[in-house]
Amino acid sequence: MSVRDILSSENELTHMLGAQQAIVLSTRIRLARNLNDHPFPGWAKSAQRAKVTELCLGALNPMPKFRRAHEVRMEALPELERAALVERHLVSKELSGGKGGAALVSRDQTVSVMINEEDHLRVQVVKGGWHLRAAWHIAEQLDDALSSALPLAYSDRLGFLTACPTNVGTGLRASAMLHLPGLCLAGHMDKVARALGQDGLAVRGWLGEGSDAAGNVFQISNQQTLGLSEDTILRHLSGWVRNVVEQEENARLRLIESEGEKFLDRIARAFGTLRHARLLTSGESMANLSLLRLACDVGMLPEARRATVDRLMIEGQPAHVQLRAGIELDTEARDALRAATTRDTLADFPEPSAPKLS
Amino acid sequence: MGKTVPCSVCGATATVHLTQIVQGQITKVHLCEGCAEKGGAGDPAVFQLAGVLSQTEIPPTLACPSCGMNDADFRKKGRLGCSACWTALLPALEPLLGKIQCGVHHLGRSPSGVTYSPEQAKMRLDAARREMVEAVQSEDYESAARLRDLIRNLEGQIA
Repeated sequence: MSVRDILSSENELTHMLGAQQAIVLSTRIRLARNLNDHPFPGWAKSAQRAKVTELCLGALNPMPKFRRAHEVRMEALPELERAALVERHLVSKELSGGKGGAALVSRDQTVSVMINEEDHLRVQVVKGGWHLRAAWHIAEQLDDALSSALPLAYSDRLGFLTACPTNVGTGLRASAMLHLPGLCLAGHMDKVARALGQDGLAVRGWLGEGSDAAGNVFQISNQQTLGLSEDTILRHLSGWVRNVVEQEENARLRLIESEGEKFLDRIARAFGTLRHARLLTSGESMANLSLLRLACDVGMLPEARRATVDRLMIEGQPAHVQLRAGIELDTEARDALRAATTRDTLADFPEPSAPKLS
Repeated sequence: MGKTVPCSVCGATATVHLTQIVQGQITKVHLCEGCAEKGGAGDPAVFQLAGVLSQTEIPPTLACPSCGMNDADFRKKGRLGCSACWTALLPALEPLLGKIQCGVHHLGRSPSGVTYSPEQAKMRLDAARREMVEAVQSEDYESAARLRDLIRNLEGQIA
């Protein structure tokens, strides 16, 4: 089993196996959990971290959810493979760069557990599209299985104890990945992000903390984890996601109505660039693919092509491009290969037509 | 020229000023360009980080008997050493929790097999009743049904 197997096997996000939606790309639940009587990873010595890894893997591996799971040890992986796992959101940057990190990824890639990240255990459930309750249900079951198998750090008053006070209590971070080109083009995204921030939600870029919003993709998640029940957290996020989706739909309608031919031109230029460019930076590729995705959403391209656009977004990231080549590449070679793959993939795409408003 | 404000992280002149409102509480963070870039201004985590790091000069007064971390270590790293730190360093953590969280009492799920103390059950019952009202008001009947079961369960435990 290698990282290449993980990256090449079909899964919800790259092959549209889950119910797929125009605006919400994916839903994610993360639970932070720790073991009692073991120092947290950031304060532990390497032997202590190694012991935690074995304990956790020993408890997780027999669980039905992890039958034939992919087990990866970060330090045993080449840098490029680690980076590709980060680009896939299967592990975090912190885990990939830290010491003694490991991860267990379920065969269908909907569930992954990071071991020795900031906390001993970070359980993550990902569903394509907007399926918050379904994702939560899986996380809950897994949490029960975990707490039966391992002595988890928990206090009556403070809940699940974590390394950082920002995660204590429920340890729950629920998030939605949203594609918001309408709000971005209309220049309203700052306003939306501010409103979300003031109501206890964090807005981040495509790769989480500290990343920019490449391709107009934003991650919205709860900030508070203590003093609220999971139900309240999920309901609060749900309400806002519905609200933002509605604002995005309105922004798209207004754009199409007010821009007319200019809108078609915008999409056609993006398509032209992707179809013919010889060098494509990751930023340019993401920006143009975002417009192509929008075109699929509003009937300018067949909706069935959206999954292909999504796959290009994921596979156009730097580590993915290099893994495809099989060698490390300099920026220009990377941009050339990205452009070639994009040209090939889009070769049989029809020309964008005028938007169909429903 | 206006008055300069020091960066909450490193003390240099701050050029980025952030305000966040959590549950009606206003938190302000001032950052220089370098720290803003490092922490990702616009990323709310920077508030918590800056709040913790700004107090690195205070000498330690508390220490964890289990892992040896003291409150100065925590202020420097922003992370705790082990689960026992949550008891040993709690006086240093409580003011922080008040700022960044929605309260200092857990209202979420517990590990399987854990039962609530009577005070815990009472607090959860009160919270569940409040949530029930909100759920009904927002016509979220799925949550309301779940909460109704939870309320019955908690009432049973208290009785």
